[in-house]
Amino acid sequence: MRASDAALIEGILRRDEAALATLYDRYARMLSSTLNRILRDTQAAEEILQDIFFQLWRAPSQFDASRGTLPGWLLIIARNRAISRLRRHNPAAGEALFETTVVLPVNIESALAREQLLGRVKSAMEKLPVEQRATIELAYFEGLTHSEIARRTGDPLGTVKTRLRSAVETLRRDLQP
Amino acid sequence: MNGHPIRDEDFDLYALGALEDDEKRAIESHVAACSPCAGKLAEARGRVALLAFAAPVVDPSPRVKQRLLEQIRSASEDHPAERARGASERPGGFMGRWWTAALVPAGVVLALAAIFLWKEDARLGKELAAERAYIERMQKELDGVREVSALVQDKDTMTISLAPMPGMPQGTAHVFFNSQMGKLMCDGAIAPAPKNMTYQLWLVPKQGDPISAGFFDAATGEYSSWMATVPKGVAPMAFAVTIEPAGGMPHPTGPKVLVGRAS
Repeated sequence: MRASDAALIEGILRRDEAALATLYDRYARMLSSTLNRILRDTQAAEEILQDIFFQLWRAPSQFDASRGTLPGWLLIIARNRAISRLRRHNPAAGEALFETTVVLPVNIESALAREQLLGRVKSAMEKLPVEQRATIELAYFEGLTHSEIARRTGDPLGTVKTRLRSAVETLRRDLQP
Repeated sequence: MNGHPIRDEDFDLYALGALEDDEKRAIESHVAACSPCAGKLAEARGRVALLAFAAPVVDPSPRVKQRLLEQIRSASEDHPAERARGASERPGGFMGRWWTAALVPAGVVLALAAIFLWKEDARLGKELAAERAYIERMQKELDGVREVSALVQDKDTMTISLAPMPGMPQGTAHVFFNSQMGKLMCDGAIAPAPKNMTYQLWLVPKQGDPISAGFFDAATGEYSSWMATVPKGVAPMAFAVTIEPAGGMPHPTGPKVLVGRAS
């Protein structure tokens, strides 16, 4: 029977290595994919991946289940760390994320759920017009603001804002549970 | 921002990190005082987090997990207080002692396993090297077979049978010769040669000096077979085997043992 994330966090609080290993097996691939996409550097991605789980081991109580779901936290921390590294920002800025609240619209504790979500997100992204998809990828995977995207692409700021808002509207609709 | 954000997508844009500083501050100050919007922001963060699934799938190397587990073990050793805290948070002290008691022999087993794996790795390395050498040898043999096959099957290849000369050691040999390819194959056997002597095959051209074309296994008199490369385009008059000093000679010096005319 599959242990829930909450039960595994309890296990980590009891210093159970197997609980950490199970959570790693569950979410490492998801995080590794994100980190590699942002950094395009396998070694850097592996360092951050290891560090995220080590942080979870050292301070599991930082994760507060009442503030959201574990994979959501992990994804946000991974993205924040990777973008900080990419932009040479202070990685410590990511630590404050432990205090934010994240609610994933779906439960992805099972491998099947993660696979289904993978298909849904890829399908939703593929349905976006090319310009919208490129714009939202610049925002998500490179951490660029509207004005930074406009400078990067040479498109007018208003165009960038419209593309990003349209992409977000579409994804909100397509990724509804 | 005095009221709620005009549109719900603003929360997603905030979570995405696309807003400029002044826009971000406006949302942050509003959310701090508005729990419904704080809930919307939490949902937007989750929704935006799902975009991670748009990344190409990259499985982490197994070494990351291995390093992580080594790191947490090392950290526990460096901070016994943390380990003690962990133990005190367990349901019962007996369980803690039980685990400690189990981990010590487990460590010994792991050390032994490491030694075993190291030896196994060395053994497999040797086996792998042997397998590679075997494959290389087989490849050479295969190349040889292909070379022989090409020679024997070529329409321009002639076959010459060599017969023993009167009063000479008994033996027999066949030569497959292709002038255009500049190749020949000889197989045959001759009675053992005198000590420090060898049997040398010669291509005797219609014009020019004999050309050395290989040696028999002179010591045992056992069956010999070899391929030899000679200058292309040589018109053969005959093939002959002579007795020569061990190591061979650039030109024939000894008596003929076997001779075969090229027709």
